[in-house]
Amino acid sequence: MPGILIVEDENELREMLKISLLRRNFTVLEAANGKEAIIHFKPSITDLVVTDIIMPEEDGLKVVMKLRELKPTLKIIAISGGGKAGPGNYLSLANALGADAIYSKPFSINDLIAKIEELLNIEQNT
Amino acid sequence: MSSLAKEKDISDQIINHSRSMISIINRNYVYEKVNATFCNAHRIVNESVVGKSLAEVWGNATFQDIIKSKIDECFTGKTVRYEAFFHIPESGKRYFEVVFRPLALETGVITHLLAETFDINDLRRSKQAVIDKEEELRKLETNLPIGFLRCNPDGKILQVNKAFLKILECQDEVLVKNMNLKNFYSDEGFFELQYKQLLECNTKTFGRIYLKNCKGNEIPCRISGIMAFDEFTNPAFIDFAVEDSSRELMLENRLLQAQKLETVGALAGGIAHDFNNILTTISGYAEMLKDDLPKDSALSEKVSKIQGAVLKARSITNQILTFSRQVEQEKIQISISKVLKETIGFVKSSIPSNIIVRSHIPKKEADVFADPTQLFRVFLNLMTNAIQSMEEKGGTLSVNLAIVDGKLVKHELSKDIVADEYALLTFKDTGKGMNPSLMSRIFEPFFTTREVGKGTGLGLSVIHGIITEMEGEILVSSKKEKGTVFYVYLPISKDYPVLSAKSERRKKILFITGNKFESRILSLALKNTGYELIYISDNQHLIKVMASISDRPDMIIYMSDSKQIHQEDLVGIFNKLKINTPCVLITDPNLELSEEKILNSGIIKQHLIKPVSLKEIRNAIQISLK
Repeated sequence: MPGILIVEDENELREMLKISLLRRNFTVLEAANGKEAIIHFKPSITDLVVTDIIMPEEDGLKVVMKLRELKPTLKIIAISGGGKAGPGNYLSLANALGADAIYSKPFSINDLIAKIEELLNIEQNT
Repeated sequence: MSSLAKEKDISDQIINHSRSMISIINRNYVYEKVNATFCNAHRIVNESVVGKSLAEVWGNATFQDIIKSKIDECFTGKTVRYEAFFHIPESGKRYFEVVFRPLALETGVITHLLAETFDINDLRRSKQAVIDKEEELRKLETNLPIGFLRCNPDGKILQVNKAFLKILECQDEVLVKNMNLKNFYSDEGFFELQYKQLLECNTKTFGRIYLKNCKGNEIPCRISGIMAFDEFTNPAFIDFAVEDSSRELMLENRLLQAQKLETVGALAGGIAHDFNNILTTISGYAEMLKDDLPKDSALSEKVSKIQGAVLKARSITNQILTFSRQVEQEKIQISISKVLKETIGFVKSSIPSNIIVRSHIPKKEADVFADPTQLFRVFLNLMTNAIQSMEEKGGTLSVNLAIVDGKLVKHELSKDIVADEYALLTFKDTGKGMNPSLMSRIFEPFFTTREVGKGTGLGLSVIHGIITEMEGEILVSSKKEKGTVFYVYLPISKDYPVLSAKSERRKKILFITGNKFESRILSLALKNTGYELIYISDNQHLIKVMASISDRPDMIIYMSDSKQIHQEDLVGIFNKLKINTPCVLITDPNLELSEEKILNSGIIKQHLIKPVSLKEIRNAIQISLK
């Protein structure tokens, strides 16, 4: 099954995403921040990244840029809850940098999974 | 030379060397003697004057009108003084003081008079200069924008200028002059304190002091004083400069307010961000749980309740993010008068009969760069607040739109000007009004005057966020029991690119709503996006459109406030026609039972919570039409 990297600093949220993806039989990789995601990135087994935007250490924009550079065919979904870092159009910035889809928290997990399947060309059987 | 002749020679010399013009005139008004200064001044020789009458020398008219009466008076034994001007050859018009003194013989009979004429031009000039200077100073003092007053050491006012009267809001200078400065200080004993301090250091600037003016208003003033002393070093009088600092205070407060809101915004935004993370976790598990549970089971229904609560919470975090301007907004160029007109129409449709709405909207179109749905929200919220404040007693809501020059706006706004022109919207009600302490807090999030549990208190703070995001500003003025006015300044945009159409074929969107005004706002929002919008508000029409394959829309947006077309009707049509058109439901955060039902019916592909932004609607449309 395709490998999905989740980059999210909120442990509970990352756990929830992991569980929901495991239920769909994806291979799940995790990183708690942008730096970790970049350092431990495994291009060969990662097909798609779901990354938060505002995180400690390297933020999601850096992740989007760097991972795309390391693996041009990588699919990227950016998620963000707004706030913290002041006014900013992080999500549209992520979009401009080349994220394939963007979601504002809170989003529907089923919508996200449908999007992942669409991006990875997986036959949807819902 | 005899001693007498010598004496005469000396006295002649004295007379001739005098700087005044001296002459002796007899009773026939004839010059008998003139001195050298007289001759030199008039550029004449002695012989051409002596023996001639004054009428001959000065002209008959001058003699008759001015000189004769003075001479006659002198001959009665009086010394006569007067000022006159003569035209002196080469020097022109010059002023002189003329003194006629009677010359009496030993017998006491006055046979001659002595005329002395002093050149007083320099004196006059310096006198005039002093007068001019004084006048200049007086003018300066009168027109100085700073209030000036002089009082004696007891505080009795001796002198005031215009600016001071203006601060006092009193035109009667005499009235003020009879008053004591002590009467104007809000704090008793303040004058005595000032007096003591000025005794010690002569001049002093006192901080911000409140003066109670003639209309009873308290005016914050900056006052500085100078004490003057007499020759015995006793205080003679005190001069005060009084500056009205209410505008300064107002701007200071506004800046403080803006900073406070910015801080609260950053704080609230951070909290909202954390809550969104938590909400995502909750909703994620709820969704998984729902997938695991049999449809229509009692447990599944409970999970729906959790999801409903998440939606409600999401609506609040969203509003907080809007307030703190951390939500992305999709803006388009939109006619402000059109949005305003639709909103007024909407408000009027459900207004109590004791309230009148008046509006003045200029014909000239002006565009702003905004999310129309949010603009609608701003206007709607301000009007609803106004109406609520007048609910009990009734009243008038006046809504005005004016296009104003940016340069003029500059003085009103606490931020930089970003456009040549601004739309100025005024929402004025005659309702309950507010006191100043309340007014200074209304834009804070979660600040509400309503009872606990009624409304989240996010309304005005969200509006503040939306307007600030548009680089506009909202101001308020209010008087208790008189009413409130909100001023909204929005920069007029000129050259923003319109959104280009994204779809090749014009996709048809059916919009079902009970509210034609809101639908028109939506159509303004979606104009130029390449979609064709159809509105339907009755069942028959809906069935007809849906039954025909050629007319059938590509998607449906259903607003749950539609009175004519109920949720069940829609579900019924879908089931009967066996169609699968993507349907987006827009509801309030508080779901009604019927709304929960339609959500569970399976025909709804997406669910948006009011207030929806243009971005959300466009996203929903794009997802549905994919």
